[in-house]
Amino acid sequence: MKVDIKELKPKKAVLKIEDTQLYFINSLRRIMLSELPKLAIDGVVIYDNTSALFDEIISHRLGLIPIPTDLSLLTFKDQCVCKGKGCPNCTVRYTLSKEGEGTVLSGDLQASEKSWKITEDKIPIVRLYGEQRLILEVEAVLGRGKDHAKWQSVQAPAYRMDISIEFDKSKIEDVKRIIKKLPEGIADIKNDKIVLKDETKLPALESIIDKEKIDFITVKHDPTKITFSFETDGSLTAKDVIVESAKILEQKYTEFVKQLKAL
Amino acid sequence: MIIPVRCFTCGKIIGDAFEEYTKRYEIYKKAFDAGENPKETPKQILDELGIDRYCCRRMILTHVELIGESAPFE
Repeated sequence: MKVDIKELKPKKAVLKIEDTQLYFINSLRRIMLSELPKLAIDGVVIYDNTSALFDEIISHRLGLIPIPTDLSLLTFKDQCVCKGKGCPNCTVRYTLSKEGEGTVLSGDLQASEKSWKITEDKIPIVRLYGEQRLILEVEAVLGRGKDHAKWQSVQAPAYRMDISIEFDKSKIEDVKRIIKKLPEGIADIKNDKIVLKDETKLPALESIIDKEKIDFITVKHDPTKITFSFETDGSLTAKDVIVESAKILEQKYTEFVKQLKAL
Repeated sequence: MIIPVRCFTCGKIIGDAFEEYTKRYEIYKKAFDAGENPKETPKQILDELGIDRYCCRRMILTHVELIGESAPFE
C-alpha cells in the first residue's frame, strides 16, 4: 500500500491511496462515522431561560457544538473508574451566563479548565433582546457516532476510484463532438484517451453518455487506486481522525483473531 | 428562526458563517442596487467562507432570520 497526502489541513484531508481495495477504505470510512469517539454536550441544567427559544431547542443547539477533544485524557463515562457518576476523567463541565441585548455565542461557554476552551467560538446559540436572560450549566461526555450524530466528528467522508476513459478510435469525430457539448475546458483528448481536468466532473460526461446511449466511450474504474477525502467539525484534527480510526480498526481485527483462537 | 448550527445534510458547522455572509451580502446588495460593480458576488463570498457543497450553501442562502419577531414572547 502506498499513501500519498494530497492535502492536510487541520479540518480537511485528501489522501491518495494506491495498491489497496475498496473494502478497506470503506471500513475505515465507516469507523470514522460510527466508532470514532468525540466530546459533545449531553447534559444541560437550565437555571434561567427567558429567551425566545424553548429550553429543548437551546439544549439541542448546545449538543451540536464541536468541543475540542483530547482522546488520550478521556474515557467513556460508563467505563470510567467513577462508575458513571461523572469525574474529571470522563466529563467536561461548562457554564454559561448572559443577560441583556446581544448574541449568545458558543465561545461564551466557560470551561472549568482552560485546556477545554471551545475553539469554534462564533456559533450563535440564541439572540437575546431587552432584559432576556440565559443561565445554564452543561456537561460534555464522550460518545460515538452510532449513538447520535452529535458525536460524529467527520463530515462527508468519501472515496473515488481512479478513472480512465477510452474510446473507439474510428469514431474520433463523434468523440470530439461530445467533448464540445461539455462545459468548456473540462475534457481533452490525449494519447487516445479522454482526460478530465477535474475528475469530480465525470458526471457531466456520464450524463451525455447515458442520454445519447453512446457505446464507443467506456469509463474504466481502477479499484486499487483510491482518492479518499474527509472533513472534520473541529473537535479532532484531520490527522488525529485518520490515526485514531486506523487504531480502532486494528483493535477490531486483533479482537477478532483472539476470538478465532478460542474456537 | 435562528440559523441552524450544522448543515442538515452533511453536518458541517455553518452557524458561524451566517453573520459574516449577511454583512458582506449587504455590501454587495447596496452596490448592485446602485448600479455599480459589486466588489464580490454571493458566490465568491460563500467560496471564501469555505462553504463548498451545495447542501451547506442552501443553508446560508435560504435562511430567514426571524428570531427578532418572536423576541417579545418568552
